[in-house]
Amino acid sequence: MAGGYVMNIQDFSVNDGEGIRTNIFLAGCPLTCAWCSNPEGQTLQNAMTSYMTVEEVTDKVKKQMLFYRMSGGGVTFSGGEATVQQEFLRCLAGRLYDMGISLAIETCGQFAFEEVRDILGKMDLIFYDIKHMDAGKHRTFTGISNEKILSNVSKTARLGIPLIIRVPVIHGVNTDGGNLERTFAFVKKEAPLAKLELLPYHTFGEGKYAELGMPLPPASFQTPSQGEIEAWNEAARKVGIETISYR
Amino acid sequence: MITDRIEKIRQNYVNARPAISCERAYLWTESHKKTEGRQVAIRRAQAFYDTCDKLAVHIFDGELIVGAVGEFRKCGILTPEFSWLWVDKEMDGFDKRPQDPYVMTDEQRAFVRENIFPYWKDKSLEEAFLARVPEETYKIGVDTGVIDNDSKWRQAVGEVTPDYQDVLFVKGFGGIIREAEEKIAELDETVPDEMDKIIFYRSVILTSKGIIRFANRYADEAERMAAEQEDGKRKEELLRIAANCRKVPESPPETFYEAIQFVWFTQIGGILSENPLSLNPGRFDQYMNPYYEADRAGGIITEDLAQELIEALWLKYSEWVWTISANTADYFAGYNQFQNLTVGGRTREGLDATNDITYMALKATEEVKTHQPGLSVRIHADCPEEFLGAVTHLVSKGTGFPAIHNDSVGYQMLLNAGYEPEDARDWNNCGCVVPHYRKTGEWTAAVNVNFGCALEYALNEGKSRMTGEKMGLPEKPCRDFASYEEVKDAFYKQFENLCRHSIIATVTAQKLHQEMVPRPFLSSCIEACLEDGKDLSNGGAKYNVGPVITGIGLAVVANSLAVIKRLVYEDKVTTMEELDAALAADWEGYEELRKKAQAVPKYGNDDDYVDKIAIEIANWYYREIHQYKDVFGSPFNTAFMGISNYIPMGRVLGATPCGRKNGEPSSEGVSPYAGSDTSTPLAAMRSAAKVNQEIHSGGTLLNLRLNHDLVATKRGQANLGAMIQSFFALGAFHVQFNTLSSKLLREAQARPEEYKDLLVRVAGYSTQFVNLSKSMQDAIIARTEHAEF
Repeated sequence: MAGGYVMNIQDFSVNDGEGIRTNIFLAGCPLTCAWCSNPEGQTLQNAMTSYMTVEEVTDKVKKQMLFYRMSGGGVTFSGGEATVQQEFLRCLAGRLYDMGISLAIETCGQFAFEEVRDILGKMDLIFYDIKHMDAGKHRTFTGISNEKILSNVSKTARLGIPLIIRVPVIHGVNTDGGNLERTFAFVKKEAPLAKLELLPYHTFGEGKYAELGMPLPPASFQTPSQGEIEAWNEAARKVGIETISYR
Repeated sequence: MITDRIEKIRQNYVNARPAISCERAYLWTESHKKTEGRQVAIRRAQAFYDTCDKLAVHIFDGELIVGAVGEFRKCGILTPEFSWLWVDKEMDGFDKRPQDPYVMTDEQRAFVRENIFPYWKDKSLEEAFLARVPEETYKIGVDTGVIDNDSKWRQAVGEVTPDYQDVLFVKGFGGIIREAEEKIAELDETVPDEMDKIIFYRSVILTSKGIIRFANRYADEAERMAAEQEDGKRKEELLRIAANCRKVPESPPETFYEAIQFVWFTQIGGILSENPLSLNPGRFDQYMNPYYEADRAGGIITEDLAQELIEALWLKYSEWVWTISANTADYFAGYNQFQNLTVGGRTREGLDATNDITYMALKATEEVKTHQPGLSVRIHADCPEEFLGAVTHLVSKGTGFPAIHNDSVGYQMLLNAGYEPEDARDWNNCGCVVPHYRKTGEWTAAVNVNFGCALEYALNEGKSRMTGEKMGLPEKPCRDFASYEEVKDAFYKQFENLCRHSIIATVTAQKLHQEMVPRPFLSSCIEACLEDGKDLSNGGAKYNVGPVITGIGLAVVANSLAVIKRLVYEDKVTTMEELDAALAADWEGYEELRKKAQAVPKYGNDDDYVDKIAIEIANWYYREIHQYKDVFGSPFNTAFMGISNYIPMGRVLGATPCGRKNGEPSSEGVSPYAGSDTSTPLAAMRSAAKVNQEIHSGGTLLNLRLNHDLVATKRGQANLGAMIQSFFALGAFHVQFNTLSSKLLREAQARPEEYKDLLVRVAGYSTQFVNLSKSMQDAIIARTEHAEF
């Protein structure tokens, strides 16, 4: 039976899609974001991940069916980057799809589109992160260039599945030099129907760094105020992008 | 928007300290001095009449609904015929006690000691109970925290839902008098049984005349005040009040305003007659809406005025204070009178029952934030989205209201207690979470029984760990238990004994109530009593449902047995001897073992290992209690409800194998042990729903705390609605939420003066946080706060 490395299965998640959901956090990530709130997801195997079979994950999810039905919720694949363990994800998504569970995925966009097209096709909602428009800065902060990520946006948008572009908003990373404005323009052009969700930077993951023996993100990263987020939302709406918040 | 008038009354409610009035007790006593030797029903009824005739009338500033139980706006009364002993013993410390203090002056104390208490010496219900209760039951059951039923012999029963639909609004008390007179005319005084009925009808005529007299005295006062009033608007209001009081409750109401004044007079009659717990307004939206619709159609009321009147009534419900002993106050903390008012649900025919008043009731609680009435809602599978939305909106306000109930499980609970289907569908809540009905006589909170003690006696050779006193049956040392099954059997043996004494204490009290506590006024609010000429205390209601024995500590015992099963008999990482030593030492020096015990699965996390044990205990408890019958031949009922009883019942309980320490709170209802439901609220719900809730006709209760953020938005509230419907689909009966942050509660604890109106849910009811003792506040903060992820 297929299996893979799981960081966490979180029932009663209410911020990553409609209704009451279970978030399945799959380990492994092609990026090493300096602000990462789930650093245990950067590798497959570590002190905070565990191996589970498709069967085991499905059994856990099954128990929550009633809550999905009543609330219009379902399962959201997250990570790490869920597409890293491609076969595991394919099996899980297929199984849950056959059970009639509404599916969503949260992805950083760093994947070979043709390889994961069938998996994305089973989703009812896709959250797609854009961290920075500048390739150099992207490499500085995440370890890789944004080339593939940006080119996958329009391909993903053409699947015709509701798409939410998520931008982690972090002072000291991506709020200066007109980067957010460029992001909005890019979204409007490449994924005209996508909605935008701005996520203010948070430090809830700091405890995990200690547990994993990793150095903390730089203190220069700062959380934007509610007012700033609102102003950027307004700027996005001005260029014709619908904004959304799953709060 | 709340009106200035209501806000002023609300401010007084929030800021005034409740004070004791001695007037009712004095008038009651003087009346009894004149009726020596007559039938007790007549004596009580005459005392009621005399009180209504003489009790000073008070129309307070700005009131639209009138009628006061004493001279203070926030006021409690004394009922020495039930008990004066505890009052005498405790009243010197009334203003200093930690839970529910009252203001009482030295003059008042001297007055009651001289003029009231001497008369009642050897005549009160409390003294009779203490004289009659068997020695062994006394030892376990009087002020011990092991089994507790003092609210049934230091207090009146209360626990009645007046029948506005078929009796009061149809006949008025004038009509009740006429019917009673007709009945008397048909009866034959030479037949002993009929003689009793004649006495009953005479007592009802007296109390009915009493409440009419009371209302007319308010009409006189309102007219007098109107004559002196210079403000034209207030003058008009007072004349309107006078007209209302002339008409109701003697005659049936014809307008919404008259109906709401009628409701309050009925409530006052109940209060003056016995200072009751749980005198439930019942299905307020069902009996008030026809008047509202008619008045709106006729153009004689606006929505705003109706809303203001409802809010005025809410304040009236909250201004009278239930006077109770320190012991009772531990169990029913927060000046709570448990006047449960139910809205929503289905009609007798099974259709959705929501109407305008349903929503106005929710809005009233949101606006005035009073701890009364205890606002309950019935949610059915097909209830309107608007209603579920209004309910979760109110939850998001953090008042702890409303108590949310599963419509169909309430129905099943009543079917299980022998109700006809139409009546069962027409249920309302009683007290905190008891499914009840307006044609019912039932002791819905007869006894609290401490499950933890049964386990303690099983493991400690029948003795209390804290006092060393032998309180249970003899048992061998726990190191000699060869298997988990033996431990369990020993637990059930002790448990059976506690159940037995609970029954004995209840039946002893029931027999006394038959002799000593006829309830003519409240009987006149119940249809079958009037038809058959029989008092409530003698089983006059259509349904005489068996007394409810409430189990406290289900989670503690299930968790503890799971620890013994896993650590001692399966994994063998410890022995009964070592565990016993650890408990005796309150875990001091056994920190490692305690960690292991805490790591064993805990009830409330959807783990079958321990949840199965909880189910087994709950089922056993039902079978055990249900086999006993009360004085009317009705089987006793079980409940897992809340109140604040898990605190005193924890206080007498030594350390328990689950990892709990000496004296810490036990667990309430079917809720997880505080702080041990570490998964998600969904898991806590799944665990609770595994208990077969529909068989516990006395009600079941689950309390959860949610981070306020989760329900701050409409979307969050919609998810909460889905969560409630999911829980109910699993077969659960009740859930209630506190949605305040721990931070806010700690702030309120530190600066109570700034948080006087902060309502929190205790268990089955909500009350002002600052009115709870420090230990109660800590227990509430300790409940797991389910944060978002």
